[in-house]
Amino acid sequence: MTDVTAETNPQVFDADLPDISEIQMQPLEASYGATNFKIGLTLTILFVLILSFVKLQPWFDWHETLRLGLTLGAVAVTIICVFFTGYKKIADPLKYYALREYDLSFQSGWIFRKKVTQPITRIQHIELKRGPIERKVGLATLQVFSAGGALHTFEIPGLALSKAQKLRQYILQHKDTVTDG
Amino acid sequence: MANTESEHTVNTENHAENNTKVVYAESQWQRLSPVAILYFGVSFIQGIIGQFIFIAPSLFIGYNAIKDNPWVGLPIAVGLLALLLSSAMLSFYFFQFRLNNNSIEIRSGVLSKKYVNLPFSRIQNVKIEQPIYYRAMGFACLTLDTAGSRKQEAKVVALELVFAEQLKQKIMGQHTEATAQSSKSADNKSIVAPVNNEEQIINTRSIKDLVIHGITSNRIWIFLGVLAPFYESLSQYAGDFLQRLGLNLDKLFDPSTHSIMQLSLYALSITMMLMLILSLFSIFGAIMTFYGFTLSKVEDRYIRRSGLFTKHEVSMRLSRLQTIAHKRDWLDMLLGRVNLLFEQSNAQISAMGNGIAANTTDKIIVPSVTTDEALNLTFDVYPENTLHDINFIAISKRFLIRYIGALCVPIYLAVVTLFVILEIYSLILPSTGAFIFACVLIFMRWKRWGFAIDNKYLYIRKGIFGVDHFVFPIFKIQQTVLAQSKFMERRQLCSIRFILASGAVNVPFIDEMQGRALINRSLYEVETSGRSWM
Repeated sequence: MTDVTAETNPQVFDADLPDISEIQMQPLEASYGATNFKIGLTLTILFVLILSFVKLQPWFDWHETLRLGLTLGAVAVTIICVFFTGYKKIADPLKYYALREYDLSFQSGWIFRKKVTQPITRIQHIELKRGPIERKVGLATLQVFSAGGALHTFEIPGLALSKAQKLRQYILQHKDTVTDG
Repeated sequence: MANTESEHTVNTENHAENNTKVVYAESQWQRLSPVAILYFGVSFIQGIIGQFIFIAPSLFIGYNAIKDNPWVGLPIAVGLLALLLSSAMLSFYFFQFRLNNNSIEIRSGVLSKKYVNLPFSRIQNVKIEQPIYYRAMGFACLTLDTAGSRKQEAKVVALELVFAEQLKQKIMGQHTEATAQSSKSADNKSIVAPVNNEEQIINTRSIKDLVIHGITSNRIWIFLGVLAPFYESLSQYAGDFLQRLGLNLDKLFDPSTHSIMQLSLYALSITMMLMLILSLFSIFGAIMTFYGFTLSKVEDRYIRRSGLFTKHEVSMRLSRLQTIAHKRDWLDMLLGRVNLLFEQSNAQISAMGNGIAANTTDKIIVPSVTTDEALNLTFDVYPENTLHDINFIAISKRFLIRYIGALCVPIYLAVVTLFVILEIYSLILPSTGAFIFACVLIFMRWKRWGFAIDNKYLYIRKGIFGVDHFVFPIFKIQQTVLAQSKFMERRQLCSIRFILASGAVNVPFIDEMQGRALINRSLYEVETSGRSWM
């Protein structure tokens, strides 16, 4: 069992196979990123308001060190909130999905990009998940479960409901979909 | 599913007379043999021991009270015994099962009722377990696993061994039929065949092997235990070292506390001696679990039997197998041994849900075989695999730059700068040692990591001081992940991950073209082979 380096790459691959880097990726609904941004912004403002209220309220006198800790904590939380909201603002529009005849793909990430591909023949069951906010803005999350376990649930968020239902229907009617798990 | 018990219990009245010993009538609710009371009693005691942590304080308080007036103890003992007996009897009374043509229904539970209906085709795994107190009477427990969650598991706790075997064959037989019908693959030769053809034993383990396994599976304690004689001098050295740290510590520690430090070092060395004893326990544990180990094969099924007190039997259909793992730690490397694991689906989930026990019973492990034996067994399972002479493709050196250059070095420099500023020069040496050790770990990790592919299988090699090999058929893959950071993109590198039903394996920092090709190839194989993963 000796090593071969990348230079002596043995030919075990077939160049004619469909390439995952050539998939036409489709963006999520624009309202997905916008909604996430609004949520992030609201939470950030809420945090700042609560913390400044706790600090500035006139009825209770904080201990000196506690006051310092509170200020530092508030600053840290605010920075984290702003950072996450900002990151999502950039990263959300970089999420894409694609449906090929035999598999589903989902791509995400800005600096660390990743593309997950789920063959339809390995799908065990499908769910459409809609939280209260998603319902309000008419979005849905498609969850696809395989035998890979709960940690590796394939998920496409930010789909318009009708599109999500169509995807689900396509998968359910696919000849490769196994029903008995 | 809550069901009303009272209506159905009437059915079981008449089963007592027409139920002969071995032939269990079908489609009729029936109870187990009264031997089951013993089992329920034992599991009740086990349950109490399991809860001991919670009971211990009250026992401790109660102990003094009992010591003062010993007569109080008697009613408590009698009460406990009565509770034990009645709980065992009631558990026995309410445990009923019914066999149909192709499913088994089980109703159980005294306070919270449970009802399970398991079609044979859904049963993934049949285990036969024989606790020591069942062996003389020829009884056994039958555990039925499904591919789903642990809650779906069913256990029939007292069946005559002969009947348990028959039932197992029946379930397995049914199962073969079911899968043969549903899967279109032509190469599935194992349709319904006579069930009691002879088993072929393909591996056994001697006591010597098990002792080796006991030692190798507990190496950290051994290492600490071996060091035990040197603790005296080590503590001397540590003491001197602390002395040299200078005035700060002298201020902190009063001279009179020195004896306390010495005492605590003695305590430490005693702990280490205990560790040595623990490793003896580990050897004993290995013998207990794997005594009389046999791995045998009937058609496409592999069966593991072992156990000193409680005999375990795990059987796995070849189609259920997801990954073969050859695991070697550094001690295994020294001794030339391999722990061979046949992993099937959900091993991880059930291990999380039910502790170590589930973990060891869901996989077939062949403990501490030699390298040749491991390769031969792998060959037996996957005849076309080429693990013995495949060339692994190493991962990129950038892995080192990423983890040493961009992670360890900055941390190390920051720490050293901090020490210099604070003028604690004596801590620079230990942190340098830690830094070098971390670098060695990362270097070894890089050196071990590699992958290979042939016509049918993917091979992954990884480890630090030991080397693990993983072999799996490409079509077993459930999901693929291709990951690439901006920095990796610039160097045309990527990381890939394959998710299997037995867990995920990843290969970081490989050539982008190769990574993409691997994923394209895998997806193509999964999507066109038309073969089921189980």
